[in-house]
Amino acid sequence: MPSKLVSLTDAVAGVEDGSHVALGGFAITRCVVAAVHELVRAEKRDLLVSQVVGGMDTDLLVGSGCVRKLVYSGGSLDRFGSLHAVNHATLSGALDVEEYSSLALTFRFHAAALGLPFLPTRSMLGSNLLEELVERDGDVRLERDPFTGQPVVVLAPLRPDVAFVHVDVADEDGYAVVSGPTWSIRETAMAARRTIVLAEKVVPAGTLPPNAVTILGPSVTAVVHAPFAAHPTAVVGHYDYDRAHLELYAAAAREGAEAYARYLDEYVRGVSSHEEYLERAGVVV
Amino acid sequence: MAVAASHAIEKDEVAVVGLGLPQVGALLAKLTHAPSAVLLLEIGVAESMPTESAMGIADPRLWRDARAFCGMIDVLGHLLHGGRVTLGILGALQVDVTGSINSTLVTQEDGTTRRFNGSSGANDIASLAGRVMVVMRHDPRKFKRQVDFLTSPGASVDGKPRRDSGLQGRGTSTIVTDRAVIAVGPEGLRLQSVHPGEDPERVAAETPVPLDLGGVTESAPPTREELALIREKLDPGRWYTA
Repeated sequence: MPSKLVSLTDAVAGVEDGSHVALGGFAITRCVVAAVHELVRAEKRDLLVSQVVGGMDTDLLVGSGCVRKLVYSGGSLDRFGSLHAVNHATLSGALDVEEYSSLALTFRFHAAALGLPFLPTRSMLGSNLLEELVERDGDVRLERDPFTGQPVVVLAPLRPDVAFVHVDVADEDGYAVVSGPTWSIRETAMAARRTIVLAEKVVPAGTLPPNAVTILGPSVTAVVHAPFAAHPTAVVGHYDYDRAHLELYAAAAREGAEAYARYLDEYVRGVSSHEEYLERAGVVV
Repeated sequence: MAVAASHAIEKDEVAVVGLGLPQVGALLAKLTHAPSAVLLLEIGVAESMPTESAMGIADPRLWRDARAFCGMIDVLGHLLHGGRVTLGILGALQVDVTGSINSTLVTQEDGTTRRFNGSSGANDIASLAGRVMVVMRHDPRKFKRQVDFLTSPGASVDGKPRRDSGLQGRGTSTIVTDRAVIAVGPEGLRLQSVHPGEDPERVAAETPVPLDLGGVTESAPPTREELALIREKLDPGRWYTA
């Protein structure tokens, strides 16, 4: 089998305008920042983005004007701040937001990964989240349990066109290890039509400890070797979040369009590669 | 507030704990009267014990000394949806008289809307845990007859028992604030205890929803040990506690 190793630029080139892109980050950890920077530089437009708990990667992609719709369960930059770009675009009407509970959205990815027609849940019953989702008349319905007659929420599968997830280490066939908590990375990665893993480290095929593997090779389309791909967010066992940089980002997002555009010019649009970004952000690789 | 939250945690609890002050209260219980309590983070962490103030659920500092790492589908799915979680501890922007929680948006006096962090796992926890404790500042703007957005259901839904809606567990049973502990019952909110130095009549007068004062007591004061644990171990940066 040929190696699945590709460059970040090639991995992102296959993302079409208007397509559905799932991102693997969570608030300020394991955000797929390197992929988002590349999507912004490639001027992707009208994306549908999904992420179980919104993080810096999603906020950055929305703030850059690449996203028309967001499917998530809320999110934040933890104490660094809110997802200002997401909240601002939602209130201005520029962004259509479809909001779930974390488990309900994870179940939608899980249903897609398993090839199931739907999954039921008792989450979201009696809430305004459910009311708004049902009003959309699409992928969420309030039904009766066929066995007990009790009300139950029915969730359609959610299959992204492309998923970008961050992993510690991947082998050349795409088997990948995520250490620490894994939130919904597995479900997201295994639901998508094409899954691209950003790996801090790449090893020869078949050399990972089998018990440590989180994502299975057949679910992975491409492997990108991208050290510090999640910077400025944290990757446990590799690097801490970059406090100063996250504060800088949150301040720019809070301040408004001009400050945000300056941030993008400095760190995203004004650099040609992830390596150049790291250099500008003062990261010693 | 963290101490009062800690006191409301039983010794064999299996709890999913939200970010911020709920963390401090839950970890304090684990270090004092409830060492066998199992504390879970929705991100996929079981029984961690942090050694410094963390920026939130996604800060690896909060995952120190965990007994297991797993996924959301394990914590919120296998354990919570599976019915093994006895307690959820959540923050709130607003609560109503049934303990329903808003963590999504607030409609301001001028009619404009401010958006906040949303549900994440809060709705799952409120829909599925055995019972729920809300921990929040005693700000009059946070107590509503009806929340601006019902993110997570409380003890009843549209005046009917939760079970009729298909929900699992009892919903919100207690609201812990920096002034009082409030019990949520079928008849509404009851002032269970006020913290030392607070007057029940005054707390009720400054809370814009009806509070039953029958049987109100005084909350147990923090012990020296509890204060030392909060200041030296759980929240040395004083990010969550005064």
